[in-house]
Amino acid sequence: MSDAPERHSKHLYRAVIVIVGGLIAIFSSRLLLMPKSFGEHGWYRFDNVAEQMAKPVKHGGNASCKSCHGEQSEQHDGAGHATVPCESCHAPLATHVKEKKKSADMKVERTYKLCARCHQKLEARPKDFPQVVLKEHLEDQGETLEGDVCLNCHQPHAPLEDL
Amino acid sequence: MLAKLNRRNFLEVLGQATAAGGLIVLLGPRATQATTTPEDEAYDWEEHSYVYLIDISKCIGCGSCVRGCKAENDVPDGFYRTWVERYAIAGLEEVRIDSPQGGLNGFQPDPTAPASTKSFFVPKLCNHCSNTPCVQVCPVGASYQTKDGLVLVDKDHCVGCGYCVQACPYGSRFLDPETHTAEKCTWCYHRISKGELPACVASCPTGTRRFGDLKREGDEVVAIIRSQNVGVLAKELLTKPRCYYLHLDGEVR
Ligand code: SF4
Ligand code: SF4
Repeated sequence: MSDAPERHSKHLYRAVIVIVGGLIAIFSSRLLLMPKSFGEHGWYRFDNVAEQMAKPVKHGGNASCKSCHGEQSEQHDGAGHATVPCESCHAPLATHVKEKKKSADMKVERTYKLCARCHQKLEARPKDFPQVVLKEHLEDQGETLEGDVCLNCHQPHAPLEDL
Repeated sequence: MLAKLNRRNFLEVLGQATAAGGLIVLLGPRATQATTTPEDEAYDWEEHSYVYLIDISKCIGCGSCVRGCKAENDVPDGFYRTWVERYAIAGLEEVRIDSPQGGLNGFQPDPTAPASTKSFFVPKLCNHCSNTPCVQVCPVGASYQTKDGLVLVDKDHCVGCGYCVQACPYGSRFLDPETHTAEKCTWCYHRISKGELPACVASCPTGTRRFGDLKREGDEVVAIIRSQNVGVLAKELLTKPRCYYLHLDGEVR
């Protein structure tokens, strides 16, 4: 019995080693495996919020078009297509302007397909929305359904003026 | 005899150590009090709580929103963060739903459709559910909720297991074919945090899609949600969507 304390301290000694070893393993694997900023606000990598915010904006909005194309903007804003954003028929600002300078031509679709997306008669469209059965409408005008036929009569910026 | 005693002690000690370790792991990341996101001091995400409103009666199915989203977010071909469905309900029984290329190029008249009693378009996107199944199932913490009410995916942290794609009852997620990580609508977080509208809302010519903020005084969209008959998709799933639909037909799912 006289050597009991010594034997117990031996057990403790080993237990402490196991605990300390375990903690070191846990903390070092945490350090190695857990991304920086993970858990700052919850169970995710907080830095990602800033990364998402930092992505470049591509659509500039009508005001950005107006700063160079005042005349067209004015015509557009006062007519039947005023609620149609410029970049919906043209393309996002970012494809045309870089660092406040023109970087490439704007792509514009000019075929009847562009007009048909909104104005081809469809059962599902709200009844009061202006729609035509394209074929019939063109036959009435003595035209055929091809190419940029709509532009023969309609000016997209002011579609019902000058008819 | 030493071995016997030791094994018993050892197991106990091991148990305690693991418990302590686990506790430390859980308590480890202590939430800080900072309210602004790290890089942009101007934007305080605790001052916003976004909601989205879709007025079904106004949608013309032009697909401008789908194209706007694609261009703004470089959404890979064949995949959609937002899309438009056409419902045709004949005799109140037969429900036909189509969405050719997500409505990207609009819709064509459907000559095979039965004389439908009612037909309308339903724009769809991630509902940014407040009680979201997709975040709950993510095993690595790559899907998360922001303080302003969005559900986002950290694509650098995502392991591409696809659990969230399966968990979303609205089909709002997909795996990016190039990065093999989860993708979905972000309500254009890079735009709204700069005070811009999401690209789909900015692209819509009819005012079908609108964006609101519960924490902005006098917000028109919030006023509509509070005062008119709005619904959410699959309410019975208790996901608490932040996308509200005006004039929602009972057949829409
Ligand atoms: S709609 Fe789907 S992806 Fe979006 S928050 Fe809800 S469950 Fe998640
Ligand atoms: S842009 Fe607006 S009107 Fe056109 S399909 Fe989208 S939600 Fe409907």
